[in-house]
Amino acid sequence: MKRRVFLGALTANLLPAQDPNTIFICPMDPDVRQHDPGTCPRCGMKLASGLPEPTEYHLDLTTTPRAIRPGQPINLTFAVTDPWKHRPVTKFQVVHERLFHMFIVSQDLEFFLHDHPVFAPDGQFHYNNLVLPKPGMYRVLGDFYPDAATPQLISKTLLVAGPAPAPMQVSEARKSDAMTLATVPERPIAGMNTQLHFTLTPGTGLQQYLGAWAHMLVASDDLIDLIHLHPFIADGSPQIQFNATLPRPDHTYRVWVQFQRNGTVNTERFDVRATDLR
Amino acid sequence: MRLLFLVCVAASAHDIITTPITWSREISRIIYTRCASCHRPGGMAFSLMTYKEARPWVVAIREEVLTRRMPPWGAVKGFGDFRNDQALTPEEMELIVNWSEGGVPEGEEKHLPKPPKFDKPPGLPKGGIVVKGDYQLGRKFTLDGIVPVAAAPMKLVAELPDGSIEPLLWLENYRPEFAHPFLLRKPLDLPAGTWIRGVPPGASIRLLQK
Repeated sequence: MKRRVFLGALTANLLPAQDPNTIFICPMDPDVRQHDPGTCPRCGMKLASGLPEPTEYHLDLTTTPRAIRPGQPINLTFAVTDPWKHRPVTKFQVVHERLFHMFIVSQDLEFFLHDHPVFAPDGQFHYNNLVLPKPGMYRVLGDFYPDAATPQLISKTLLVAGPAPAPMQVSEARKSDAMTLATVPERPIAGMNTQLHFTLTPGTGLQQYLGAWAHMLVASDDLIDLIHLHPFIADGSPQIQFNATLPRPDHTYRVWVQFQRNGTVNTERFDVRATDLR
Repeated sequence: MRLLFLVCVAASAHDIITTPITWSREISRIIYTRCASCHRPGGMAFSLMTYKEARPWVVAIREEVLTRRMPPWGAVKGFGDFRNDQALTPEEMELIVNWSEGGVPEGEEKHLPKPPKFDKPPGLPKGGIVVKGDYQLGRKFTLDGIVPVAAAPMKLVAELPDGSIEPLLWLENYRPEFAHPFLLRKPLDLPAGTWIRGVPPGASIRLLQK
């Protein structure tokens, strides 16, 4: 389960000094962090073990060319800096077999991309020849884990010139060519746990994809909420359960589920409406 | 705050603990960083500085952060980038949800961080250009921040002469009683001829210059 893996990773970084995952931080240069005791390579001070705050790192996203046209390829550059000294971060931990997961969703929720910018010698992540098909807003979610820090989920926005696309077309379908969906409760309640039970058809040939039996991105109809999840229960059988908390009532959430069968990655999507308990 | 009082529930002494997330280790750090500037003894709202104080409010805290009513930052993350950003990160929201679902454990006192110290909050910056409706910059302008004057939900963007569009600020749930500026993490150079768009009728903002 993504949430548990994520929380476990975060918790591991907050454990007391005797834990092997203890983080040692320079009192003068808090961006100097490592898992072993020692001295700061920058100022020579002895590193102190501690419980780091769940601090948000900075992610800068630039495009080349700067002006984005629909249907025209662009290159993306992601640069991560620490929040204390604003120095480039160049050491990252692998999360689900990659250093950086990038999700992109369009304003009408028709465009979805999950891919992996490549870490380059310039200390930045690069993704080339991205084509955004329509005008409007695109939300980009970066999922990465600076070494000796806490996992980061940081959203950015790309804007493509032109008339705004039509609003999201909501589907009430619970069956696609590859899977069926049943939710518990049947009418999900905002702020409460919702179980999403998927049954894959056919249920054979399933393989792990990027270290998990499935991946899910959840996006609200207004693109404010972006949630990245992994299964709560999955073992390679056709049954996969995700647990999700849909944050706000009276919004529809589009969920994209990715799984791999016989070497091919499948992406399916469903729409789920969150209601108000009161 | 009104809603918080409505949904406050009594603490249960018999919660089943199913999460490793604790008040002492994770949640207190979030509260101290994101909430305690107001929610502390002598602050402008009731205190959440201790487990005993925060525990009865856990349902309200969860609902407020999921709906992004609290902290009252009032802008959508990732649309503009601000050095005084007080919005919760997805990780922080996830921790609070997990903690509340998992029995609200207190944890060990030795993991508690030191209580934060608070400076007097700065007032709203003065000056700048007041913008109502679409506005074209007549000269180059280095944007350092934005102050909502007459606030309304809006997606504020800068359309540059080269055809690029920069996201500046997406206001959602901004509350004038918690008025604050949005100070850019990096000043943004806007050439002459740039259009500022997105201020709806009846609303206005101030563009702060570096």
